[in-house]
Amino acid sequence: MIAAGLSGGYAQQTNAIRAHNAPDVLHVEYQGLPQILLTGGLRDLTADMADLESQYSPAAWRGVRPDGRTWAVPMDLAPMVFYYRKDLFDQHGIALPRTWDEFRTAAARVKQVDPQARICSFPLNDGSFFAGMSWQAGDPWWTAQGDTWAVDITGEGTLRTASYWQSMITDNQVAGVVYGSQDWIAGIHDGKLWGILGASWSVGTLNRSIPKDIGRWAVATMPTWDGKPANGIQGGTAWGISAESKQPEAAMTFLRWLSTNPDVPKIGSAFSTPFPAHLPNRAVARQAYKGGFFLGDPVYDVLDEAAKRVPDWTWGPNALRLFSTISDSFGPVRSGGTTLPDALRKVQQHAVADMRARGLSVREGKSA
Amino acid sequence: MSVLAPERAPVLDEPSAAPAVRTRKKDFAGLVLAAPFLVLLVSTVLVPVLYALYLSLFTERLQGLGFSGPENVFIWLGNYLSVITDKAFHAGLGNVALFAFIHIPSMLIGSLVLALLLDSGVVRLRQMWSLAVFVPYAVPVVIGGLIWAYLYSPTIGPIKNLLGIDPLSDSAVLPSIANIATWQWVGYNMIIFYTALQAVPKEIVEAARADGAGGFRTAWSIKIPVIRPTIFVAVVFTVIGSLQVFTEPMVLRGFTGTVTSTWSPSMYVYEAAFVAGDNGRAAAASVLLAVICAVLSAVVMRFSTRRSSR
Repeated sequence: MIAAGLSGGYAQQTNAIRAHNAPDVLHVEYQGLPQILLTGGLRDLTADMADLESQYSPAAWRGVRPDGRTWAVPMDLAPMVFYYRKDLFDQHGIALPRTWDEFRTAAARVKQVDPQARICSFPLNDGSFFAGMSWQAGDPWWTAQGDTWAVDITGEGTLRTASYWQSMITDNQVAGVVYGSQDWIAGIHDGKLWGILGASWSVGTLNRSIPKDIGRWAVATMPTWDGKPANGIQGGTAWGISAESKQPEAAMTFLRWLSTNPDVPKIGSAFSTPFPAHLPNRAVARQAYKGGFFLGDPVYDVLDEAAKRVPDWTWGPNALRLFSTISDSFGPVRSGGTTLPDALRKVQQHAVADMRARGLSVREGKSA
Repeated sequence: MSVLAPERAPVLDEPSAAPAVRTRKKDFAGLVLAAPFLVLLVSTVLVPVLYALYLSLFTERLQGLGFSGPENVFIWLGNYLSVITDKAFHAGLGNVALFAFIHIPSMLIGSLVLALLLDSGVVRLRQMWSLAVFVPYAVPVVIGGLIWAYLYSPTIGPIKNLLGIDPLSDSAVLPSIANIATWQWVGYNMIIFYTALQAVPKEIVEAARADGAGGFRTAWSIKIPVIRPTIFVAVVFTVIGSLQVFTEPMVLRGFTGTVTSTWSPSMYVYEAAFVAGDNGRAAAASVLLAVICAVLSAVVMRFSTRRSSR
């Protein structure tokens, strides 16, 4: 057993690959896959997986094929969604925001009703969250072009996202507490946070942190920039097979079972809310979902719709490191030491320099 | 860490054969007795150090998209150069320097004053007090860090309300980290100083008192000079500990974005190895950190011997 990816698991896996004693099956999030590929430790699964393409959500299928070869078996998908206190929104006549402009108005209304409350928190120390928010804007940070990475962290869509949230922070319209922290849970408990910018797995967090808040929360797809449906993703799991595995066929059989057998989401539904990347299994999970916690649209309808709206995106070979660079650069934003767009320009420089130093072929700017 | 090797006694030439055999036997016994230590020293210190030195000379070079895997390339001192010229490493050194500037004086003065108070006999319930001050040292650093992180958290902790400043904001987070370390180490050093004070000859203290010295004068002119070597040892350990500070900022990093991933040199090493996956640079940075530690402790030791021999 090893810890979850960003809390040390990737380091342990990478070291195991280096030491030539990696386990047969490796846990990889979509966002970490290209960085793990740099170790050369994963087996090419293109041929083994070819027959399954049509059964997976397109976003997940793209996620395991950063360069057109299949490197992992998709497990689940984590489209971002907006959770909100429907009871409070309704009570104070605040309409569910469908665009980010409406979101700003709704945020101001929440603060007006209760000066201590905020519409949501915008955590600055979570690069993977910010990436998911930028994903929606439709300018991928990386694109594999032939043998070269195009790196574009300061694309128009990303900068628009950054400027928007910078103004929300400057106007004190959003809280700054870290998702899942004690501060955050306290805010949710005390009714000081009326919404959550979360992902499909936040259903589990909500059920765990506030099991008694039945009938208060609802879930909706993310507000959009111009009314055109779009949605980001935060996280999501796949499984790879070690290049040096002595039982690759057995591992493949197991992973195909894990990813596509309908018993798996049935078991998963007993203690969480799985959102499988495998479409037939997603139907099984939807059936098995107990429900009762949320008001409004059924959770799986919203998640399905959110997953459909996900634009193209490729994770780069330095994504995990970039997350910590982002959180380092965003540190002084709250005290006014820098702004989100300025910090992002530094992140772009840092990322390009870092990738070049490692010998990768890099081009700055948008994909041609 | 610096290891002080005891000076070797000069080997005398043995003219007769019989004692030579005895010496060999003695050598053998010494070797057996030293073996457990030697095995551990070699396997847990020397081999890893040599391996780190070896790693620090290589880098994993990729090409193209990088998916064809890395190639290990010998780059001489390239990793050292990139660490030395890295602004993040400079910032880390700056942070620990400031941290040491706050932590070392407050911790040493605090523990010295507490030790002198315990020793002076003005304190009742001496055992209870010394236990109370010592307990933080018995708390694992991660747990201590978490306790403080909750106290520091702006909306659920009391400290923001008490002080009026957010202890996790980018201007206050460094003193907040120093405070955790000071809280943790005051009791430990107090016990060391207190133990040293027990060894101060009673006659000198009584003589000073007979000459009319009060409590403060006795402490300042008699007790502190006598335990000065102990204080210097504590300074050396604290300097090394400060340079290597890791756990406290790492724990707070989960609570605030103001602690960067390379906040201290040790975190820089961690980031390079386990986040960036650049083992060569991590090894070079840790070698540099070890050299800085060795130089600084040598300076402090030199300073202390000069002071004591005066």
